[in-house]
Amino acid sequence: MASRRRMLLKVIILGDSGVGKTSLMNQYVNRKFSNQYKATIGADFLTKEVQFEDRLFTLQIWDTAGQERFQSLGVAFYRGADCCVLVYDVNVMKSFENLNNWREEFLHQASPSDPENFPFVVLGNKIDVDSGNSRVVSEKKAKAWCASKGNIPYFETSAKEGFNVEAAFQCIAKNAIKNEPEEEIYLPDTIDVGAGGRQQRSSGCEC
Amino acid sequence: MAETDAASDYPSIDPSTFDLIVLGTGLPESILAAAASSAGKSVLHLDPNPFYGSHFSSFLLHSFSSFLHSHHPTASEQPPPSTPIDAGEFSVADLKTRPLYSHIEISSYSETLDTSSRGFSIDLSGPRILFCADPVVDLMLKSGASHHLEFKSVDASFVYREGKIWPVPDSREGIFKDRSLGLTEKSQLMRFFKLARGHLGLAEEGGEERRVSEEDLESPFVEFLQKQRLPPKIKSMILYAIAMADYDQEDPVACKKQIKTKDGMESLALYHSSVGRFHNAPGAFIYPIYGQGELPQAFCRCAAVKGALYVLRMPVTSLLLDKEYGHYKGVRLASGQDLFSHQLVMDPSFIIPQSVSSPSLDMPHEGSYLTEVRNTPSPLMKVARAVCITRGSIQPDFSNLLVVYPPRSLLPEQVTSVRAVQLSSNVLVCPPDLFVIYLSTLCDNADQGKEALQAAMSSLLVLPRESSKHGTPEVNEDIKVETKPDLLWSALYVHDLTEVLSDTVCSCPMPDGNIDYRDLLKSTTMLFHKMYPQEQLFPEAVVSENTEDDKASID
Repeated sequence: MASRRRMLLKVIILGDSGVGKTSLMNQYVNRKFSNQYKATIGADFLTKEVQFEDRLFTLQIWDTAGQERFQSLGVAFYRGADCCVLVYDVNVMKSFENLNNWREEFLHQASPSDPENFPFVVLGNKIDVDSGNSRVVSEKKAKAWCASKGNIPYFETSAKEGFNVEAAFQCIAKNAIKNEPEEEIYLPDTIDVGAGGRQQRSSGCEC
Repeated sequence: MAETDAASDYPSIDPSTFDLIVLGTGLPESILAAAASSAGKSVLHLDPNPFYGSHFSSFLLHSFSSFLHSHHPTASEQPPPSTPIDAGEFSVADLKTRPLYSHIEISSYSETLDTSSRGFSIDLSGPRILFCADPVVDLMLKSGASHHLEFKSVDASFVYREGKIWPVPDSREGIFKDRSLGLTEKSQLMRFFKLARGHLGLAEEGGEERRVSEEDLESPFVEFLQKQRLPPKIKSMILYAIAMADYDQEDPVACKKQIKTKDGMESLALYHSSVGRFHNAPGAFIYPIYGQGELPQAFCRCAAVKGALYVLRMPVTSLLLDKEYGHYKGVRLASGQDLFSHQLVMDPSFIIPQSVSSPSLDMPHEGSYLTEVRNTPSPLMKVARAVCITRGSIQPDFSNLLVVYPPRSLLPEQVTSVRAVQLSSNVLVCPPDLFVIYLSTLCDNADQGKEALQAAMSSLLVLPRESSKHGTPEVNEDIKVETKPDLLWSALYVHDLTEVLSDTVCSCPMPDGNIDYRDLLKSTTMLFHKMYPQEQLFPEAVVSENTEDDKASID
C-alpha cells in the first residue's frame, strides 16, 4: 500500500475546448482517433502502464470531462497532479493565448509546493490540419512562450495522425515520475472505498 | 478561470433547453445532477459561486469567513417583493436569496496563525463523518464518485460523562481491554451484544438467533436497554455515541425525538457492519481527505462524465413562468440569456417565488410539498456550529476522533447532544501540527445552541478569556489543564434547517444537525423519485471502465 501512490501518477490535460485533449489521450492509450468531434462525454480518466528505469508505473490521465468549457473545473480535479499537460490548437490563436490562463489557474488551484519547478508539458496539436496552411501560431512563438515559463518541454502533435504523441507522453511520464510526491506522510493508509474493501476482519465488531 | 474578471462577459450557453436545471452545487444538488445525467437526462448545473459545494463546501480560512458573512441577514439587502413582470411570452419572477447564517462570531487568538494558508480546508457543514457502511458510501461506489475520493479512518470515538471522556468500545477486544469497565459491566455488555447479534441474524454458530419481540421493537430503546440492565455509562454510549440520539432519552418531557428499539437496533447493525468494513479503517467512521467539500465535487464530476454541462460563476436572476398558470418554464441568467427546462432544483439559499404555481396542485391527491422527511420531523429548526483551530490534539494519542456530549452532560440546561469531531493534518484539512475541531448541536435558539457549544469547547480547550464568561461550566478537572490545547481561532454560527420542497421547482435541504449523511441522502433520494418516478437513483453498478485494476492496454 505504501508504494501504491508513488507508482500511480496523475496527469491532467488542460486547454480550451476543442483543442484535442481527449483525442490525444485516446491516441496515446488506445491508438484510436475519431474524426467526430463531440464535447467530451463518458471519459473519466484513462490509464496506461509505463516502464521507466526498470520500474512499472501507472499513468492515470485525467480528462476535463467538458468542465473546462465554462472554466468550471473544481479544485478537486487539480489536486495531487504529478504533471500538467497544456494543449492548444496551432490553428487557433485564442487557444494559444489562453495557455497562460490555464497555467495560472493550475498553479492557483493545485497550489503545488514548488510552483517554479512543477512539471508542465505544452502540446501544439492539430498540425496536420490543411497541411499546416491554416496554422496561425508558429513553432518559434510557442517555444518562446515555453522558454519564458521556465523551459517547459514543447511538442507539436497530431492526434489524428498519431504524430509525436508517443514521444510527448513519454516526456510527460518522465516528468511526472521525477515530480517528487510531496505529502507522503498521509498516503500509506488512505482508504479507497472502491478498492479491496468489503473484506471483513475476523476480529471485527461484536455488537 | 481566476482571470475571468469582467463580470459583464458571461458566456452564452448552448443548447438552451434541458430536462433539468440545477442551481447550486451542494451535496444533494450534486447527487441529483449525477443521478439524472446517468439516467440519460440532459442536465445544466449552475452555481453563482466560483467554487463547488454551496453549503456543503470546504474553504480556506479567510474565504470561510467571507462565505458565512455573505449569507448573513445584513449582507443581503432584499429589494421589496416584486410581483412577476410581464415580459413577452412569459411572466418573470425575481429569484431571491435568503440569509441562512446568523450569530456569526469569528475570533482569532493567535498572531502566528497564518489565516491565509492554503493548507486549510474548512467544512461549512461540520462536524460530519461517514459510517464505513453508510448508504452514501454505497452510492459513491455505484455512481463512480468513489474514484475521486480517498478517506482516512476516524481513530476513536468517545462519550463524555461526569466530566470525563470515555472510549466507546467497538469490538469484543475493546470491551475486554477497557479498563474503565468492571467485570459485571463487561459481562452485561457482552450479553447485550450477543442479544443484538442474535436479533440481527449475526449470531455465531451455535449461538441463539433470537429476534427481539415486536413489542420491544416498538418500545423506546432506552426502556429496552434498561430491561437489559445495562449500566448507565454503557447505556449512554449506545444511545448517544452509536444510535446518535439528539435528545435526552430518559426525560420524556424534554425528549422531542424518542428512539425506538427498532431504530436503535438498526444503528447497532450499521455500526457493526461499519467496523472492519475496510481493512485499514479500524473504527466505524471515515473522513474524506481534503474535507467534506470533496463529496459534491466528486458527484459533479460523475455528472459531467455523463454529459451534464457545468457553469460556475453564473447567477440566475429570475424564473420564467407560464403566463396563464404560473407554471415553471425556465430561468433567466445574469447574462440575460433565457434557458428552459422541465424541472428546476435549487439549493436552499434560493426562495421559490410565491408566484410559481404547481402543476401537481391540479391533482389534489398528489401531495406536492413534503415537509416530512424524517419519521418525526425535528421540531428544532436551527443548528449551531463551531469550528476551532488548535495547536495540539485534545487526546494525545489520537489524530482524528469523535466526542459525543449527551444531553445534560455539560450543563443542566443542555437539551441536545453536542458532537465534536477533531481532524488533523493527515486528512489535509489544516497545516501540519494544527488540528481542526468541529462541533454542532440542534437548538431552539442561537443562545441555547451557542451556550452548549461553548461548554463543550471549554471542556476540550483552553479558551482565551474564558473565566469571565457567563455560563461557562466549571473547568473539568479530569483532563489536566496542561494537556488541553490552546484555541487559536474559532468560528461560531447558527443556521436554520430548511424545508425540502418537491415539485417542478425543488428545494434541497441545508446540512442537517446529524453527524452523517443518512437523512440527507433519504431526502435526496425522495426528491429524485418524485422527479423521475420511473428511474433508479444510479442503477446497480455497471462497473466503470476506468477502475484501477483494469489497465488500458495498447492492443
